[in-house]
Amino acid sequence: MNTLKSLFVALLCMMWTQTADAQIPAAPQSGPIALVGGTIHTVSGDVIENGTLLFEEGVITAIGTDVELPEGTAIEDVTGKMIYPGLIDSYSQMGIYEIGAVSLTVDVNEQGPINPNVKVERAFNPESRHIGIARSAGVLTSVTTPGGGLISGQSAAMHMDGWAWDTMTLKSGVGMIVSWPSANSDNYKSNIEDIRKAFADARAYKKAREASGVPRHDIDTRWESMIPVFTGEMPVIVDADDVRQIQDAITWAEEEDVRMILLSGRDSYLVTEYLKKNDIPVIITNVITAPNRAWESYDARYSLPSKLYDAGVEFAIAGDASAANANRLPLEAGAAAGFGLPVDEAIKAITLSPAKILGLDDRIGALEVGLDATFLITDGNPIEYATQVEQVYIRGSKSDMNDMHRQFYKKYREKLDQAR
Amino acid sequence: MIKVNKTAHFWGLMRAFSVLILALSISVLILALSITLPSTIFAQTVPIEGMKENTPRVHAFTNGTIVTEPGNVITGGTLVIRNGIIEAVGSNVAIPADARVWDLAGKTIYPGFIDAFSEIGMKDPRVELDRGAQSWNPHLRAHLNAINEFNPEDDGSSELRAQGFTTVLSAPPLGIFRGDAAVIELGDGSVANRVVRNGVAQSASLSGSWDFGYIYPTSQIGVIALIRQTLYDADWYERAHQAYENNPRGLQKPETNAPLAALRDVVRGTKPILFTTSSDEQILRALRFTDEFNITPWIKGNGNEYKLIDVLSEASVPLILPLNFPEVPDVDSPEEALNEDLGDLRDWYLAPENPGRLNAADITFSFTTDGLEDKAHFLRNLREAVFAGLDSTAALAALTQNPARLLGIDTTHGSISTGKVANFVITDGDIFADQTQIMDVWVDGDRFNINSDNVIDVRGDWNLTSADGTVQADLSITQSRPGSLSGTITISGIEADLKNVASDDDTRRFRADFEGDAFDVYGLIQLTASVSGDQLNGWAEVPGSERVQWSAVRVAEFEEEVKEPDEKLARNLNISITRPSMEYGRESIPEQPRYVLIQNATIWTMGEDGILENADLLIERGEVTEVGRDLNVPRNAVVIDGTGKHVTPGLIDAHLHSGVDGVNEIGNAIVPEVRLGDVLNINNIWMYRQLAGGLTTAHVMHGSANPIGGQNVHIKMKWGSLSHDLVIEDAPRTVKFALGENPKRVGTDRYPETRMGTEQIIADRFNMARDYEARWNEWENNRVGIPPRRDLRLDAIVDILNEDILVQSHSYRADEILSLMRLAERYDFRIKAFHHGVEAYKVAPELAAHGAGAVVWSDWSSFKIEAYDATNYNARLLFEAGVATSLHSDDSQVASRMNWEAAKMVRAGMDPVDAMSLITSTTAELLGIDHRVGSLESGKDGDFVIWSGDPLSTLTVAEQTWIEGRKYFDINEDKTLQRNIANERAKLIERAKEVKND
Repeated sequence: MNTLKSLFVALLCMMWTQTADAQIPAAPQSGPIALVGGTIHTVSGDVIENGTLLFEEGVITAIGTDVELPEGTAIEDVTGKMIYPGLIDSYSQMGIYEIGAVSLTVDVNEQGPINPNVKVERAFNPESRHIGIARSAGVLTSVTTPGGGLISGQSAAMHMDGWAWDTMTLKSGVGMIVSWPSANSDNYKSNIEDIRKAFADARAYKKAREASGVPRHDIDTRWESMIPVFTGEMPVIVDADDVRQIQDAITWAEEEDVRMILLSGRDSYLVTEYLKKNDIPVIITNVITAPNRAWESYDARYSLPSKLYDAGVEFAIAGDASAANANRLPLEAGAAAGFGLPVDEAIKAITLSPAKILGLDDRIGALEVGLDATFLITDGNPIEYATQVEQVYIRGSKSDMNDMHRQFYKKYREKLDQAR
Repeated sequence: MIKVNKTAHFWGLMRAFSVLILALSISVLILALSITLPSTIFAQTVPIEGMKENTPRVHAFTNGTIVTEPGNVITGGTLVIRNGIIEAVGSNVAIPADARVWDLAGKTIYPGFIDAFSEIGMKDPRVELDRGAQSWNPHLRAHLNAINEFNPEDDGSSELRAQGFTTVLSAPPLGIFRGDAAVIELGDGSVANRVVRNGVAQSASLSGSWDFGYIYPTSQIGVIALIRQTLYDADWYERAHQAYENNPRGLQKPETNAPLAALRDVVRGTKPILFTTSSDEQILRALRFTDEFNITPWIKGNGNEYKLIDVLSEASVPLILPLNFPEVPDVDSPEEALNEDLGDLRDWYLAPENPGRLNAADITFSFTTDGLEDKAHFLRNLREAVFAGLDSTAALAALTQNPARLLGIDTTHGSISTGKVANFVITDGDIFADQTQIMDVWVDGDRFNINSDNVIDVRGDWNLTSADGTVQADLSITQSRPGSLSGTITISGIEADLKNVASDDDTRRFRADFEGDAFDVYGLIQLTASVSGDQLNGWAEVPGSERVQWSAVRVAEFEEEVKEPDEKLARNLNISITRPSMEYGRESIPEQPRYVLIQNATIWTMGEDGILENADLLIERGEVTEVGRDLNVPRNAVVIDGTGKHVTPGLIDAHLHSGVDGVNEIGNAIVPEVRLGDVLNINNIWMYRQLAGGLTTAHVMHGSANPIGGQNVHIKMKWGSLSHDLVIEDAPRTVKFALGENPKRVGTDRYPETRMGTEQIIADRFNMARDYEARWNEWENNRVGIPPRRDLRLDAIVDILNEDILVQSHSYRADEILSLMRLAERYDFRIKAFHHGVEAYKVAPELAAHGAGAVVWSDWSSFKIEAYDATNYNARLLFEAGVATSLHSDDSQVASRMNWEAAKMVRAGMDPVDAMSLITSTTAELLGIDHRVGSLESGKDGDFVIWSGDPLSTLTVAEQTWIEGRKYFDINEDKTLQRNIANERAKLIERAKEVKND
């Protein structure tokens, strides 16, 4: 055990940049790179032992055991290592939340109940220290999600490396967030009516704008931003926990004829058939959390993913909203695996499944030719506690692993060494 | 109510209390007219004004059933009362010649009910006590007295009389020590004439109150600490004053303090202290005072007593039981029913069984109406309790004999016997039968009418004839439901419905109307008549024609339908009483086999032996005796095959806040006198969930609102035990300190408001404690003068300075950690551990040098500014620096998976055994309990967990959790329990729906 430890310390020292305090974003990939000798977990297909992963200009160009390498390919030997697609945190406040109790560092909830037009990427802070911390834990894409009100705004998929939000945005307008009102609230029914009215108004607006032979209709920024929802380009992501909320949201989405994704979904196991009938996938936001009712089993939340899996409901596992906890994402999937979900499915729930659910699977979620070269190199299964994420690549570039946690460790390890 | 003319007396009273009366409104004057004055004036000081009133007060009640006391019934007996006293009772009693005779054929007489706790006359209590020698703390009002606080205006007597009560204990309602309770008769008028017994008990509450604003104590821990301090103070107060009286020369006189003086007999144990409780745990809290003080407790319960039958049987403490049952749970829809927990469903279903279950266990109690929002529900609930199994004789005893004895008034009250006060209840049947009504209540020989038999009855068929003989009609009057009459009138074969049918007892008059259309009269025909037996004599207003006089004779009696008695909720559910009374509760604690042997497992000893593969663990009588290969199998050992399994010591959480009623006392910045051990609450589902994750021990801590907070408590997760049996008795005392943001942001005007002030107020109290210790030392040496007062707060700080209480300090930033270490060093003691310590890694060498431990989170970060410099390598760096390091949860859910917390440290680069030490051996060391727990070594407690595999793997679950050789969690048993819970909830929900639909 001790040998293992010292080996690990040595490894860390090698991996983490010695000099800079700030983490420097990686430069774009400059030439073809091949990782050879590793075990490639494509997630969408087979596990390839002793395989080669070739990527160029940030995109995977070949995968297999018999890959021809173009001239000038930089070759890295990763024998004994595992390669997994980058983990996707499908629900996070990354980049818009820095310090919980310091409200001026939190940009999650806009004023008022109806904010379909706000877009998180435009407020995404690339200097957030949580980005580097989650990234070195393997979280390479964050679906940053606004909250509050009834229609909260639009989420965006963000690369976890880059100089500014523009280049870091993988996809804007990933989903229109609807925060379903609390079923215990006295205003529950009137709040549902508010949501219905907003959607009806937005539809009326679309019709008025598209109509010909009538006076020109002026722009309404809020309703304008909802048009992609009605054309089917943008799903509606409904945040709901209680079974009453979930049922009512499904019925609502069916009536509105919008594509719905259920977010959170604590009681979703009670209405799996209704979810399936309407093709509604679930983004489970918390696995490592408390049961809601005393009669529920101690593992009610840990085993929710396995219940949805057994019922055949499509789902992804996200984590706690707090950007500071995004580095726990693999552990959330691990907890699901500890309580009944097959390990491969748990890994899928933080890679391929969220990519499919959120329409990102043309870029990320698996290791396939044509997808982004966004992946992690580990010494084991990424959802196991003891596993070390040794290096991550985003769009073909090696990211700085020396996050703030490690910088603090190194700085004060130095203090300790000086004291000795 | 029969009223004699009291005008003369009334005006006499007017003059006597003219000042008071002047202040009263007209409406109150009208009310005051009904005051019934006692006519025995020998014991009165009030002068007679105007004409003396002297209506005879001699009554004989004949032909009734007399229940003289529970279980003793005289049928057809006679009761004679004279001037408010029972003169004779029996079957062969001669009726005195001067008696007014009441024929009670068909009626039953019971002794007057005694309400053993009430706030009669305590309306609008005084919040401010701005005169006299007060205590510094407005919660201490022991010197008040129900009689002096009594407000006769709308005092609540009539509501209680309507339920059969004649006598009550009344107690002042505010504060913690509330004052003396008194027994009062429920007659009308001045309290001066109604006192039965004064100073019966000191009333105390275990709950604080916000009536006095934001003042210490603000929490359950604070309330108990203040009661404890006050009892010590009362004892000291008497001794201090005695010392002064003996030799006042040269001495400073001790303060005069009315509440402390009033508690003298309480601390001597000669005056009972009546604790008002609001939960099962509060009952235990009240009883636990007797471990420390020679007091005589009475308990006013709260409906949860059936959960404590073993305790109450043994304690044989006087009990006063309320009959306020919980409302039917909200189960209208399946969605709503989902949110009803088993504990609440059971509480609802079992509440009516509470008195019956206690009685079946031979526990004596008295009833109170207290707690009932509507006192009119008392009899209804009493009958429900009898239906639910309470023996009716015992029920009557709890209303009469028992409270009379308890309140010390049984020579005059509690039964119908010669010489006792004429307090009794007259009913029209068995008091425990649903339809029975209370007719009259007699208090002190005066009658209060509650319900009357009808004097007139117009129901039946009548032949009506007009005076001129031109109209013949048949009148049929029926009763549609109680109090509602209807009927028809038929003239020449044409029938019309009667409207507005009514009869009035006082005027003996009948009224009815009918539409004239059918009889060619346009408009309403109105009938009125005087009733005399079977005769009606009246007249009719007929639109458009002359008034018609008429009379009628009854030709047929009304035939009353025999009413079905109310269907009651059948009580046939087999609900077992568990501890706690909720999901997964136990009927008894698990048995402890003499030997338990786990064979062939991977054993993490967390001692010198490290991890042993293919090893055995032997537990004997709850203690580890041996760990090693191929151990002998003792006879009758419970043998567990550990093949493929891992075994670790029971996990320990160094910082938990679940299972206690409140964690912060914010009424003062410095509160080390409060103790979390006082407020443990077993009704805590988390304990089971934590066991399910292998947690066996926890350090339950005070909150972080105070630079010096309260004393923490070490518990074992002995699910199914009483709260005080969870406590690890030989654990060292520890205290919570708090630095940084939290203690400085409490309120707007509480010192400190900066980290500077935090350091200074701690230092200031250290100085005070040194002075206090010196005073005591002087006293112990010479015993001259006034004995010093025992101050539990300073006592605790002295113990902190002497390391008899170990400091466990909440902290975030490196600077504050350093400050507290340096401060402690100036006072020559050590801080045991810094908790949270998000920046502890920044001062790791200093911590190691000081000898302080660090108790930290694995990965919490950035929820506030002082948590921003968090690193997941905190514990690792501390460990590398040689700091004794532990993890903690500070969160109920995290505490239920502490192995995951340790596993995260493997991810951060720690060796697995070192990581495991963060939640076992080192944790035990930092909490001072490593002589008992934290490793699997000979002599340690048999607390262990059997895991499905490597406990630090994400795929592993705890399969069994054992404490002291008893199995408290088993993953297979859990499945069965879950099924049972589902079945029981379904049954209870179904039953609740039945009741709701009725």
